[in-house]
Amino acid sequence: MRNVCVIAGGQNLWGVRQATQRDMIQEAGKACFEDNPIIKNKDIDGFIVGACHTERCSFQTHLAPQAAECLGIKPVNLCCRVELLCATGSTGIIVADAMIRSGKADVVMVVGVEKLYMPQRWEIPFSELGTCDHEFDCTNGMGLPPPAFATVAQQHMKLYGTTEEQLAMVAVKNRRNGLNNKKGQMQKAITLEEAMSSRTIVRPLKLTDCCPVTDGGAAIILACEEKAKDLTDKPLVYIRGSAQGTQHQMSANFNNGVWSTWDTLRIVGEQAYKHARVTPKDINVAQTHDCFTISEIVEVEELGFCKKGEGGPFVQEGKSDFGGLVPVNTDGGLLSCGHPFGGTGIRQGIEIMHQLRGDAVKQVEGARIGLTHNLSGLISAHTVLIYGRDME
Amino acid sequence: MSITEGKYAASMDMWPLQGKQFTRIYPFFDNLKEGRLTTTKCKDCGTLSFPPRGVICPECLSENLEWVDLPTKGTALSVTYEEVGVPIGFETPLVHAMVDLGGVLTLFSRIKDCPMGALNVGDEVKLVVFPVDPQPFDGKKGEDNVIQRVFFCFEKA
Repeated sequence: MRNVCVIAGGQNLWGVRQATQRDMIQEAGKACFEDNPIIKNKDIDGFIVGACHTERCSFQTHLAPQAAECLGIKPVNLCCRVELLCATGSTGIIVADAMIRSGKADVVMVVGVEKLYMPQRWEIPFSELGTCDHEFDCTNGMGLPPPAFATVAQQHMKLYGTTEEQLAMVAVKNRRNGLNNKKGQMQKAITLEEAMSSRTIVRPLKLTDCCPVTDGGAAIILACEEKAKDLTDKPLVYIRGSAQGTQHQMSANFNNGVWSTWDTLRIVGEQAYKHARVTPKDINVAQTHDCFTISEIVEVEELGFCKKGEGGPFVQEGKSDFGGLVPVNTDGGLLSCGHPFGGTGIRQGIEIMHQLRGDAVKQVEGARIGLTHNLSGLISAHTVLIYGRDME
Repeated sequence: MSITEGKYAASMDMWPLQGKQFTRIYPFFDNLKEGRLTTTKCKDCGTLSFPPRGVICPECLSENLEWVDLPTKGTALSVTYEEVGVPIGFETPLVHAMVDLGGVLTLFSRIKDCPMGALNVGDEVKLVVFPVDPQPFDGKKGEDNVIQRVFFCFEKA
């Protein structure tokens, strides 16, 4: 098996964009090539596009050839689309990694994109009614998932004493981390008081506990180690291991109603650590799926950064902040950058690439091993990737 | 839109397709019309599935399934009130509860006609079946080519 390196990455401006899906694929691709001018579009022999709502919101299927065409890429080994809702981007990276590792392709670009804002806003939550079990959850108005995560928060607060202030502290930290991220949607810090007094969406979740709806795209290029050495003059960043798993789709089948425990993430995390030959203690920086503040609190527990139930104190004591045990969501996370489903996992991979190269906007000094995590759907699937400055 | 005016587009329909011609779980909807909440149970391994399965038991892959009744009354284990961002077609607040159906199944369901604070943890809820938009389909001339549909949620007992 060959080693796989990340050699370029870039994203467009995320937010409410006056641009089509195809425009954003071009913007993200351009940003990626600008990150590493040594690589040309003609060097790419494998191409993956990640997008969830392309049929729904752009009325476009068979997206990969269209995306490759608009970036001047003519892949000969792979040209396909992947979709796993919120984890779509990291799924593309996992597939690209496997293709390169096995020798089926040498240099693969993964572009993730999501166009969600429509001329009339009602269409966004309506389209999201296809993201949980369409026939049995979405018919209950379950699409965009605040009620599900409010339930997680209610249970976590009752079982472990987690507080609304601790939820708000996740938002304050991640907004602060994203303040100087020029591609992010929010780019605005908030105080604890502002977070605590923002309007209620679903109790106990307030507006600042929820990531926004986002248009955006991101692109990343992976290569086999041999090619990577020729195609970049920056420090090499390796994909050390990954894992992905699911145990349910519909709400009725989620852990007998105990939603504050995410067994699938714990199992998938352990699997990824095993593949990467590291333990949670080895992780210097992590980008976890903070779609809601409560998500990050549960994630640091299930990923083994702290004990189960101690995710609230973990953020309160600054352990997930710069200078803490594991800085989490160093570029602002979903809460600050926004969350275009296809783009998010790629954005996380790009931030880890910068952190391990040592050229991040907000740098974790000396970071050598980084982790990304996405959840998707009704907390149905979990995806973890571990990156390192070396393989040992 | 002018070219689709008066036409039915399943891609813009949030309700499940119903009727024997369109789904193998049509008995679920037929039973619902009689006020019964039912699902499939595997006659080989005994696994109760939800949602109901039209083809096989996901546990042992057997095709030997039977329809069984679920309780139509339950207890709210948790309650959420969505005050902002409710999808079109739903009332605000949009209320969801984790409903324990007598220990047989836990469902995360919508609670109908529930003002802020009206339902609390521990309260009893009961099944409510309601009509939804009928589903037209291309049929032979003179045939009744509309399927009458229902769906369900819960309300405070």
